Amino acid sequence: MNERQTGLRGRTASPSDDADRAVLALVTDGQLDALQELYDRYRTMAYSIALRITTDPSLAEDVVQDAFLGVWRNASRYVEGRGSVKTWLLSIVHHRAVDAVRRRRPTTALPERETTPPPALTLPDIWNEVAAGLDRDAIAGAMATLTEVQREAIELAYWGGLTQQEIAARTGAPLGTVKSRVRLGLLALRRALVGDDGTGTEPVRDGMS
Amino acid sequence: MSHDDVIDLASGYVLGALEPAEEAAVRDHLATCSLPHAEFEELGGVVAAMLEDVELVEPPAALRDRIMDAARADLAARASRGPATVATPVAGPEPTPAPPTAFPSAAAREVRRAARTSRLDWALRIAAVIAVVAIGAWGLGLQRQLDAANRFNQSVASVLDAAARPGAQAVILTPAEGKQGRGIAAVAADGTVTMALRDLPTQTGTQVYTAWVIVGKNAPVSVGDFTVDANGIASVTTRPEPAPPGAIIALTLEPNAGNTAPKGEIYATGVAPGAAGATG
Repeated sequence: MNERQTGLRGRTASPSDDADRAVLALVTDGQLDALQELYDRYRTMAYSIALRITTDPSLAEDVVQDAFLGVWRNASRYVEGRGSVKTWLLSIVHHRAVDAVRRRRPTTALPERETTPPPALTLPDIWNEVAAGLDRDAIAGAMATLTEVQREAIELAYWGGLTQQEIAARTGAPLGTVKSRVRLGLLALRRALVGDDGTGTEPVRDGMS
Repeated sequence: MSHDDVIDLASGYVLGALEPAEEAAVRDHLATCSLPHAEFEELGGVVAAMLEDVELVEPPAALRDRIMDAARADLAARASRGPATVATPVAGPEPTPAPPTAFPSAAAREVRRAARTSRLDWALRIAAVIAVVAIGAWGLGLQRQLDAANRFNQSVASVLDAAARPGAQAVILTPAEGKQGRGIAAVAADGTVTMALRDLPTQTGTQVYTAWVIVGKNAPVSVGDFTVDANGIASVTTRPEPAPPGAIIALTLEPNAGNTAPKGEIYATGVAPGAAGATG
């Protein structure tokens, strides 16, 4: 669709993102009803993500509670035009879940993570449309186009909360190989979901597959 | 951290899979580097899409109560700490509106319309939150929270009445970038828009505010001129004009009444909501 080509900071978002922004605006104004609405809309996905990452129902509940309290206090940090409210919210849940898992493990020391996800996790315009239309089958199908080691690396990173170094230690592969698998896997996912590789800036060093 | 190093770490970063020190270094770089980092957005988009691939499990009902209790307590704690901070940044009061910037000429609009296929290109000129809400359970909440100015309260009551009628829906009007002016409106089934507005700078001389309905890529249609009182408050009922889902309601400050095409700057906008079930 040509709306992707406009490259403007405005959105061609689905009606539900419009509604989400309205809800979030009310949350920013301190409306408890609005927080309740936001929770009801995304509680299942939020809890499911937290549960998948923590594998602990009680910890998952804490993660969801922390995330929504964070949103309650910092709703004004949501940046217009950088992605959907849904993605922003669920990225916060993901972060807190990974934090909780890493705290549970005695190894990696953590910095205090803010409510705001790293800028890259918010979406440019093109992704709003794509993401709005995606469902589990589409993602699962896209994941199936990856090699097994790519899929493993990405799942360990994203759903296991492991760092690339930890993945290297766990799988016995060199760090450079892990980085390469992760990168190629993400590019393959993008290709499967969107149909192109993006601009794909290459670093000035050898990659290994 | 060099630019190349950052690109090398992009995939790990978007997955949240960097060591803490690396992640901090990348974050700092992104905050200060003026070069584009398209790979972050492209890869980040994939990661966000991965969130969809999760097996769904319902949380326990009690979690909702715990969250709402905590939020309520947080709100009370904030209130007791003193004046609430306004979460939405608002520029200092601007009693004299800036000189109006003209809309692009009809010819320029035509060229632009031809160049883009997005039906939202007019709205995209407005750097504002466009929000839609169904009044439903929030009607009372909104009313309690709004300012106590009598006239505003009365006009809000009119809006809520109008919004309660069959086929009507509520619209929130939010300020354009750098502007004040907000309100709530009800779009009736016949397209009449009833609005309660506040914070609009008082008009001077022959200036009036004009409400416009913009449907798709069509030119804006004026649905009425109005003025705000000394407190920046206005209560407006427009003439009926079809406002299908997605139509934009915009308020401009015009140099004179009776304009059939907008000449003034945009102060606030809202979007007529979609069909029922859009929030489902």
